[in-house]
Amino acid sequence: MSESTLFRSEEMSLVQLYIPSEIAQPTVTELGELGLVQFRDLNPDVNAFQRSFVSEIRRLDEMERQCRFFEKQLEKSEINTRALTTATYYARARSAQEIDDLEERLREHEVRILQMNNSHEKLQRKYLQLTELRHVLRETAVFFEQAESRQDSIRNLFDNQETDTAPLLERDVEQANFDGTGLNLGYVTGVISKDRLPTFERVLWRSLRGNLYMNSAEIDEPITDPVTDEVLEKNVFIIFAHGREIISKIKKISESLGGTIYSVDESPDKRRDELLEVTSRIEDLHNVLSNTNQTRRAELLKIAENLTAWFTIVKKEKAIYHAMNLFNYDATRKCLIAEGWCATRDIPVIQNALRTATESTGSNVSSILTELRTRKKPPTFHRTNKFTEGFQSIIDAYGIARYREVNPGLFTLITFPFLFAVMFGDTGHGFLMLIFALYLVLNEKKLARQEQDEIFSMFFYGRYIILLMAIFSLYTGALYNDVFSQSLTLFKTGFAWPSNFTTGQTVEAISLNQTYPFGLDPTWHGADNALLFTNSYKMKQAIIIGVVHMTFAICLNIFNHIYYGNKMFVWLEFLPQILFMESIFGYLICLILYKWSVNWWELDASGNHIRNSPPSLLNTLIYMFLQPGYVDPKDQLFPGQGPLQMFLILIAVVCVPWMLLGKPYYLKARHSKHQYETVAGDEDVAFDHEEEQDGHTAANEHHAIDDEEEEEFEFSEEMIHQSIHTIEFCLNCISNTASYLRLWALSLAHAQLSTVLWEMTLKIWFYYTGALAVVGLVFGFSLWFVLTCAILLGMEGLSAFLHALRLHWVEFAGKHYLGDGYKFEPFSFAQALSTQ
Amino acid sequence: MASAAVWNADNGFVDGILRGYKSGILNSSHYLNLTQCETVEDVRLQLSATDYGNFLQNEPSPISTSTISEKLTQKLVAEFDFLRTQAVQPLAKFLDYITYSYMIDNVVLLITGTLHERDTHELLDRCHPLGVFDTMPALCVATTVSELYNTVLIETPLAPYFANCLSAQDLDELNIEIIRNTLYKAYLEDFYDFCQKIGGPTAEIMGDILQFEADRRTINITINSFGTELPKEDRKKLYPNIGRLFPEGNAALATADDIDQVKTACEVFSEYRVFFDQAVSESTMEDKFFAHEVFLNRLAWQQQFHFGTFYAYVKLKEQEIRNIVWISECISQNQKDRISSYISIF
Repeated sequence: MSESTLFRSEEMSLVQLYIPSEIAQPTVTELGELGLVQFRDLNPDVNAFQRSFVSEIRRLDEMERQCRFFEKQLEKSEINTRALTTATYYARARSAQEIDDLEERLREHEVRILQMNNSHEKLQRKYLQLTELRHVLRETAVFFEQAESRQDSIRNLFDNQETDTAPLLERDVEQANFDGTGLNLGYVTGVISKDRLPTFERVLWRSLRGNLYMNSAEIDEPITDPVTDEVLEKNVFIIFAHGREIISKIKKISESLGGTIYSVDESPDKRRDELLEVTSRIEDLHNVLSNTNQTRRAELLKIAENLTAWFTIVKKEKAIYHAMNLFNYDATRKCLIAEGWCATRDIPVIQNALRTATESTGSNVSSILTELRTRKKPPTFHRTNKFTEGFQSIIDAYGIARYREVNPGLFTLITFPFLFAVMFGDTGHGFLMLIFALYLVLNEKKLARQEQDEIFSMFFYGRYIILLMAIFSLYTGALYNDVFSQSLTLFKTGFAWPSNFTTGQTVEAISLNQTYPFGLDPTWHGADNALLFTNSYKMKQAIIIGVVHMTFAICLNIFNHIYYGNKMFVWLEFLPQILFMESIFGYLICLILYKWSVNWWELDASGNHIRNSPPSLLNTLIYMFLQPGYVDPKDQLFPGQGPLQMFLILIAVVCVPWMLLGKPYYLKARHSKHQYETVAGDEDVAFDHEEEQDGHTAANEHHAIDDEEEEEFEFSEEMIHQSIHTIEFCLNCISNTASYLRLWALSLAHAQLSTVLWEMTLKIWFYYTGALAVVGLVFGFSLWFVLTCAILLGMEGLSAFLHALRLHWVEFAGKHYLGDGYKFEPFSFAQALSTQ
Repeated sequence: MASAAVWNADNGFVDGILRGYKSGILNSSHYLNLTQCETVEDVRLQLSATDYGNFLQNEPSPISTSTISEKLTQKLVAEFDFLRTQAVQPLAKFLDYITYSYMIDNVVLLITGTLHERDTHELLDRCHPLGVFDTMPALCVATTVSELYNTVLIETPLAPYFANCLSAQDLDELNIEIIRNTLYKAYLEDFYDFCQKIGGPTAEIMGDILQFEADRRTINITINSFGTELPKEDRKKLYPNIGRLFPEGNAALATADDIDQVKTACEVFSEYRVFFDQAVSESTMEDKFFAHEVFLNRLAWQQQFHFGTFYAYVKLKEQEIRNIVWISECISQNQKDRISSYISIF
């Protein structure tokens, strides 16, 4: 068996498992730990609640609810559960006996907790009432005093009046009347929540027509509601009113509005006694409460120790039964039939796991694994590791590869960071990025265990992408000779500046007839025509990289055509495509390289120019189409250019109908041939027949239904499809090549931005001296560094990443990637536990 | 059309949310699955696969029908409250109008309960949460109609509707019923006017819905008044002055003495004819009214840029709650032969 590579997805097999029902649960447990099989749903028509193991799932749901209940209680009492360690994470699922025990245990705990909560609540309520009563007593005392003093003052007023004015008739009667009203004044005292108070007042005022005297005061002590655990703000109120009817009405209103009425005695002595009694009772209750709390806390602490493990067990068990619900039950043989996809290479491992499960249960009947022949589309499974995972996910985000097609993920490993670096070429920025990436990579074990927020986890997931991007930026930065927009002179430069010049004079560097060994000559830095030069260089470089990248993508088609048994497509599709591409854009990059390699200013012995001035390549390409076969001698690059261009155009033109017609007519011919064959042989019927004879009746019945039928061939449809494809390809060749110019544009933008930043924030301080220079440099540097990190590393980095992504998805994948597969999602506990 | 152009500036967000909610309304295949359930636990499982999600997951089993109903209502109320807080005028006012009918129900529930000397807190629990207002609990105190008005209702939005009821003196069964219907009449007319003032598709759609609502009330009042001491003139006063039956149909109904006369009065409209067709199906007239209401509310979704959808959503959701409760009741009481008389919405 071949080694698994990223080049193609794993070979998959459809396997059928016969699991004796008594060992089904441990077997599925073993498979769940392995996480290598993706089970198929064998009962797609059965409702969720009509499946075989619904009752078990319901039981586990109940247990999960209890666990959640405990969790909430723990949260309320601020007890931390033990963190999920790897040991508990991979704890094996339990046997049926253990599950029963656990259920029993959970139930006991729940009952105990509920009981304690209940009594706690009761006590709390009592406590609450007493506290309220205490406040009522305390506050009303104030009201009563006020009321009394007022009465006194009124009486004094009256008394004064009496003394002032001459004694009148019926003075005694009046006095008696007054006293009477004073004594008959009834009152209601109680507590009501603060937000209800205005409503309460309004309703009272309206229903009693204002015949009341009301006073209220806030309770400064926060009171927690025993049921909802919310802090309530309450007010004590006292209402004086006249008449029994009215008093009872007030009572009714306050009760209906959620107030609590506490009756208070009139005499201050009794009130004082009551207050004392209440206070002592509160004291007692407080003790009892803290005792209950203590025991409750102890119980909860006991739960906290195991809660995470329980959660894990319950979740695993639930996952097992959910998986088992996908199986078919064969009543006659007392076994479960499961079907699923797994990598062919993993079959021995799975068989081993089945054996282990059988042995560990001590059963003498073992599970049987058989491989099925099928024409169903297998899922796509790329075996990735922590390094390749991120890169593969870039490709998967575009589309999951068709089963065993060439996987662009493999090439993305290098091309992605490389294209990124072409746009992000700066050694300094690359270095900072490298430090960040190394931090993530070297501490990955520690960081993986920590709780991560969304953005950080994204960076963490792509840490190897960042690492490679940083290394490549170091390289391209060295090529561009950019370190934070400055240049580095590592080798001897190829130019020398003239030594005698006056200020303001334009000087021209003198070539020393030697080439800078690596990358851009530092003398270019700061030169007037530096931008002109780098522009031209980076633009051409972008085109070269683009055409090579796309050519490579087209070449990958060969592997797909051959693998899927369409060898003819190589001649009918691949060949015209590559010829079309190369005759236009391949020729262009040849021109670029040729133009670079020629010394256009070379002089002959007599000092005349040997060649014409270097022609513009853009015009050359345009006139290649506008005037086929003719090249202006002034713009000629090399002799024989005209006829060669004529020939290339001819090839490109021929390729279009070739691409358009070849494939559909070939398919038509093949299809009509195939039809005769099927009539003669009738393979399909034989195949189904054979399976039925095997006797897998239950599981195989639906095979015939969901095995995909061979697609109906329709010539017109194929023709339309191919013409769209052809037009798209031809246009894309042009637009995609232009699209690679983003490499140039972004690289330029990056370089310019970092230059501007350098000049605006740091360089200006170099002209000062003294203290100002020191302060300015510190300030300037911090500003420069922060902006470098935020704008150049953060924003520019993201934008370069995005553009590299686009080049891979649209320009590269568009050329060959089918991407219509579906992902292999094996049944595994790790999966079930992580999606909580 | 002008309103359609700028409609989304104010209401686009809530409308988007609402249409999202609407797609969560159970469809006929969901109901089909629900009716196949064997126990209420199955119903819970089945509901968790719908938009309701895990709303029942923290309830200990066995679960009761009343818990389901309570939780369903809670969800509706939460959704409505969200919409209400996000809404701007005049949608906010429109949404308030929706709650008024629940307020009327609550008021009537409370005074009836007080009349029969029920426990106040028990009554408060039974009130619909959409129609709760601050001073509502104080209703229990009132013993006469004027007291009811002066103490509590005067500061609620229901006050103007109540002005017509003040002539009644004592609170007895008949008077309460009259109060309810007078309130409803005033409410429907007011709501109808409000919708007409908004204009556009809102007026059109809400017009249809409210007119049917008015007709339904008229028919119900007429049929229920047979054999009571309610004089015909008083009965006529309770009919809302809107609706398709108004005014000729209402006049005919005002003099009706038995169900046949009601039938002839209503048969002018072919849609209303089915309500009196006993032979077609076993479902009651009430069910047929509901079915027609659902139909009208469903129509509201066919148009854009109007408020009718908000009303329709609340009503459809209410019907859905009725359906789910009906199905779970049938399951828990082992009456599976009657289970299929729910009204499927979509």
